[in-house]
This record gives sequence, structure tokens and C-alpha cells, in this order.
Amino acid sequence: MEINYKFLIDTFYIVLAAVPTTLKLTIIPLLAAAPFAFTIALIRLQKGKSLWKVPVSAYVTFVRGTPIVLQILMIYSLLPSLLNALMKAWSFDINVFDWDPIFYAYIVFTLNIIALLSEVLRSAFGSVEKGQLEAAECAGLTKVQAYVHILLPQAMVVAMPNLCNLTVNLIKGTSLAFLMTVKDMTAVAKVSASYGYNYIEAYLDVFVGYIIICSIAQVLFHFAEAHMGRYRLSKQK
Amino acid sequence: MLKVKNIYKKYKQEEVLKGVDITVEKGDVVVVLGPSGSGKTTLLRCMNFLERADQGEMEFDTISIDMHKVSSKEIGKIRQKTAFVFQNYNLFQNKTALENVTTGLIVGRGIVKTKAVEIGMKALEKVGLADRASFYPSQLSGGQQQRVGIARAIAVEPDVILFDEPTSALDPELVGEVLAVIKQLAKEGKTMVIVTHEMKFAADVATNVVFMADGKIVEEGPPKEIFLRPKEERTKTFLRRILPQEEYNI
Repeated sequence: MEINYKFLIDTFYIVLAAVPTTLKLTIIPLLAAAPFAFTIALIRLQKGKSLWKVPVSAYVTFVRGTPIVLQILMIYSLLPSLLNALMKAWSFDINVFDWDPIFYAYIVFTLNIIALLSEVLRSAFGSVEKGQLEAAECAGLTKVQAYVHILLPQAMVVAMPNLCNLTVNLIKGTSLAFLMTVKDMTAVAKVSASYGYNYIEAYLDVFVGYIIICSIAQVLFHFAEAHMGRYRLSKQK
Repeated sequence: MLKVKNIYKKYKQEEVLKGVDITVEKGDVVVVLGPSGSGKTTLLRCMNFLERADQGEMEFDTISIDMHKVSSKEIGKIRQKTAFVFQNYNLFQNKTALENVTTGLIVGRGIVKTKAVEIGMKALEKVGLADRASFYPSQLSGGQQQRVGIARAIAVEPDVILFDEPTSALDPELVGEVLAVIKQLAKEGKTMVIVTHEMKFAADVATNVVFMADGKIVEEGPPKEIFLRPKEERTKTFLRRILPQEEYNI
């Protein structure tokens, strides 16, 4: 077997050019999911019974219990036709099938991350001592102020390792976006390879690409955790 | 100034408070004594609505409140006038000593930062920790943390400070520094309600001692009356059990 070095290097640049797509597929769903995930986490942490608990827990269980490939296939085959039917019913002159498929990728990954992120946040908020909220309320803070100034900063530090895990998994998971014809790192490499059957070289390029991105993400999270958790300094000694 | 009447509180089947009345006038130091499980802490927590009483009325200055059906707005009003010192300090872990004191002022009461820092430093000075202002709770000893807790309480100039066993979680050698701070506050005429097991301290600072057992007030009066001439048999047995140990501490 011969490695085509020229192809290896050329394709690496093509893969690099697709890095922004992979980053967009990671960051946009994470940001879009955050408010929903917070809401779900707080609902599930409430004491006693709440009307919302059952559907919300069912949603989390459903997402966690199905492979993301399946979620992608389901939504990508259902949603466009559904939207198309709606557009027709409301007589909008919009062709849904012209939309950039990345739009559907955002939706799938956001729906997926909402469930996973809510679990990360739930365990993080659960780890903050109950007394912190009591003390904040006694100091004259409202519940919202207590969450913003006291509970959230502490919960985020606890959440950092899991959040890093989730982000890295999402970065790797975005490689499945090629199923929706999104031109991310994996997809462009595969397309390049298909002209001359240089799959090994193309996969090697993608491989290196993901390792670099994921390593950078891990380093960033490490620094973020150290910075946000600096109040724990003497405990770590 | 602060009057609480007829508080009842039940946890599942367990009746913890069975009709407790307590009155606190301005400048009073009310010390609540009693064996564990007598409902002292629950009483204090109900007074600040950390627990919701099943029944009871509160009169605070001109405000009167049904303690069971109280609205969160009313709770907010009461909490602006009171402060609470916790058994396990409950300092905000993500804030420095100074920020612990100023957060209630800046966020809770909308006081400008420079003014709040000034008030906060004064409060820390009072508890002898001005040089620890930039330390996080994890860098402070238990006694220092509790003193910051007290600074946080006095900084908001509350009408009454509630102390829930402020020295129970401390190493014996650190108890003294915290009690000294509270004694100083008593001298300055601060109004306080203190739940404690420190008998000698109670006798020193109290203007009024309340002895509780089994969710009820058994006896109350000036410390001299309660410690030297207790009327009720329940009080006598409690003091007999506690006081001999105190001899070693003196």
C-alpha cells in the first residue's frame, strides 16, 4: 500500500477549511441548548410534584436512550417534509428543500444537547450545598439573584469536567452531520477521497483534525475550570 | 418589637413545635436553651421563614403576618430587617470574605459598591478580620469563617440578628473568639436571639433566657432566675446535667 503524500497534504488543507463548520455545529447548539437545559435542570431539581416533571424527564430519557444516528435520520427525514406541508398549508412561497441542511443539523444537535446538558447541570446544581441558597436569601437576595450570584458560579465549576466531556463528544458527534449532507470536516474529506479512492489518507487527515480540535477544547476547559474555581485553591492543596 | 405567637410545626408525624410564643424587644439578647430535639433551631428557622410554620402569627414593628400563609413579598420584607448566623457558617464559597459581607448590600439592597465596601470593611474590622478581606472561605479557619458570618449579619444593620448554634461546629479552642465577638455586640445593645449550648456564655450575655423542651417553652426569665432558681423540674434536671461539665471549662 502506498500513501499519496501530496494528496495527504492537500486534503489536510481542505479539512482545515471545514473546521469552522465543525465549530459552528458545536458552539451554536451548545449556546442554543443552554437556556432550555437550565430550565429542565431546575424543573427536575424541584422538590415535590410538578406538572412539568413527567414530560421533561420523559424527553431526557428518550434522548439519552436512543443513538444520535437514529435521531439524525429521524429528524432529517421527518422535519423537512413536515415543514414543507406546513408552508403549503399556510400558503407561504418558501421551498423548504432549498434550505442549507446545516439548519437541520443545528436542530438535531440542539435537541440532543438540551437533554445531555440538563443532566450535567442537574448534577452540578445538586452538588451545591443547600445552605448557600438559605444564606443568600437571608442576606436579602431574591431567589433569582441567589442563583445568578451564588449558586450558578459554584455549579459551573463543578460542571466543568462533565461539560468538557459533553463538548468533546459533541465535536466528535458532528462528524455524523455528513448524513444530512452538511459539508463538515468528515464530509469534505470523504468527498475528496472518493475521486481517487485515497480513503486512508483522507481519514488520517480527519483523524488529526479532530485530535487537534478536541485537545484545544480540553485545554480551554481546563483553564476555565482553574480560573472559575480559584476560590477552591486551598482545598486542592 | 418582634413578637411571635403560637407557632406550630410538624415534620410528617413528628410535632416539633407545639405552640411557642416569643417576644423580643429592642436591645434584648434572648438566649434559647434546651436539650437537642427540643425545637430551638426549628423555632429560629421559622422566625426567618427558612422553614414554613404550620400555624402562627408574627408581629414585626407594624407588620403583622400569618406565618403559614405568608407571601414571598412579606418574607422578603422580614428578611431585609433580620440577619441569620448559621451553625455551619454557610459563607458564599465563591466570594471573598469582603464580598461575603457586601453581596447582601450591593445585590440585595442596591447600595453602591464603594459605600458597600466601606461598610463591609468596617464590619470585618469589628470582628477582627480586616486583614483577611481578600481571603476565600476555604482559606479561613472555622472560627474566622463564623466571624465573617457575623460580619455579614451586622453589615446590613438588621433590627434583629438570629444566631443558630453559632459555635457548635467549631473546634473548642476556636469557640472563644466567636463568643467574644457576640459579647461585644451585646454590649453595643444589638438585638439578638441566640440558640446555644454554651451555658456560661448564655448567663453572661442574656437579658432573657428561654428554656425549651419537647417543642414547648418550659420556663423563661432573666438568666439569674433560670440558672440559680429554676422553678420547673424539667429545667432543673437539664441544668444539673449540663452545669457540672461547665466547671471544667472555667
